[in-house]
Amino acid sequence: MYKAVVIGGSAGSFQVITKILNSLPENFSLPVLLSLHRLKHVRSGFVEALSIKSQIPIVEPYDKEIIKPGKGYLAPSNYHMYVELNKRIALSTEEPVNHSRPSIDLTFETAAQAYRDKIIGIILSGANKDGAYGLKKLKQLGGTAIVQDPNECQVKTMTEASLKLTPADYTFTTEQIINFLLKIK
Amino acid sequence: MVLSDQEVNYFINTVKSISAYDFSEYSEKSLKRRLQKILIDNNLDLIGLINKLKTNPNFLEKIVRDITVNTTELFRDPAIWQTLRYRVLPQFAQNRNINIWHAGCSTGQEVYSMLILLNELGLLDKAKIFASDLNTEALETAKKGTYKYRFNIGYLDNFDKVIKENPLNYDEYNDVAYEKYFKIDKISDTIIINDFLRKKPIFRQHDLVKGGNLYFAKFDLILCRNVIIYFKYSLQNKVFKLFHDHLYTNGSLVLGMHETMLGEITSRFEKKGQVYRKR
Ligand SMILES: C[S@@+](CC[C@H](N)C(=O)[O-])C[C@H]1O[C@@H](n2cnc3c(N)ncnc32)[C@H](O)[C@@H]1O
Repeated sequence: MYKAVVIGGSAGSFQVITKILNSLPENFSLPVLLSLHRLKHVRSGFVEALSIKSQIPIVEPYDKEIIKPGKGYLAPSNYHMYVELNKRIALSTEEPVNHSRPSIDLTFETAAQAYRDKIIGIILSGANKDGAYGLKKLKQLGGTAIVQDPNECQVKTMTEASLKLTPADYTFTTEQIINFLLKIK
Repeated sequence: MVLSDQEVNYFINTVKSISAYDFSEYSEKSLKRRLQKILIDNNLDLIGLINKLKTNPNFLEKIVRDITVNTTELFRDPAIWQTLRYRVLPQFAQNRNINIWHAGCSTGQEVYSMLILLNELGLLDKAKIFASDLNTEALETAKKGTYKYRFNIGYLDNFDKVIKENPLNYDEYNDVAYEKYFKIDKISDTIIINDFLRKKPIFRQHDLVKGGNLYFAKFDLILCRNVIIYFKYSLQNKVFKLFHDHLYTNGSLVLGMHETMLGEITSRFEKKGQVYRKR
């Protein structure tokens, strides 16, 4: 029944993301939208790093690219990544939101508007509050909200901010997140 | 200030009915965000904004300018400039003229980057440069060729990558002085493009939505970078068609880093990276 997964992460999320991506099977049935803050010095090579062991292809999408199942879409560095209602990616270089570009909030909110109750939103470790508002919108629109267990996070600011703004459907460890995704039909 | 899709459409339709501007095929998400920001910055609600638009033509022009996103840099995305330098521009070296169109040139940095490159290749005298944008204020800045220094130190890194270094041969280093092309004045905190470059291009307002009315009939090279990401897929294709009509055969269109051509129109071009050569 689900149609998409959207994941937001910042400081301390890289290992979690790679673990999750590496666990997904080649024929995973959903697109995975990734809105991740990057450190200034890892601007390039990020998509390659994520791809090394991932069985699903990970790309930095082109603007207006059609979103396909079984593929990972990483917001390009310095662009906001939106989802349009017709399930295409839209990129933009508008000003950062809360000092962030990509803005996790914007990716979550627009993805939720496109996929409504058919989306899973996951907030991971991070040192700021980006994503909290986006996850709240996602839940309001009927999506399933998952937050990484703050006790497991390298930096828990982001997950705690999310939980404070909206109760999540699940607070999961990395293992539990993976198991949840693997059970999706 | 959160707007619904209906409210955004109401804005689009009002602007369309009282002016020559048409945002109906702009990318919906980013247009909505721009509009929300405009309401906050002007401390107005949508009705207040619409009323003011209807009665005050100058305000309408200002809002149109505020809707556009004008971020740009000198030699933005150096890799594409290296491609232009080593692969694309040399193809035109034997031409009598080289007609170049910068569509959506914003404040002009892209145009001056091209002029610097052409001069380094000894092609400046052959080049005829037409540069256009929807935003008249951006065009005025472009004509002045004066930019803030402090926030733009990255320009110099980009310049070094494109002009001084050669990615195909690391032993090569062309020690071209910045002063050849611009003055850096740290007291007034400005970068000022030299006159011989500034007087070269023709800057004109032009709306890609409307098409038509171009300064030259045909071009050898069209740069349209980081403009169509603000357009819906349908408008992107109309603009590609416009570019196709105004390119010579074997002329090239250059798009921005994360922009691409999709669908039927691709068969009329040969794509290599961000460069689309007309068949
Ligand atoms: C982000 S800037 C790109 C500047 C430069 N080409 C670059 O890549 O650095 C986008 C420009 O597109 C212009 N633009 C937006 N809509 C347009 C239209 N309908 N016709 C012409 N230009 C337009 C904006 O005014 C803005 O200056």
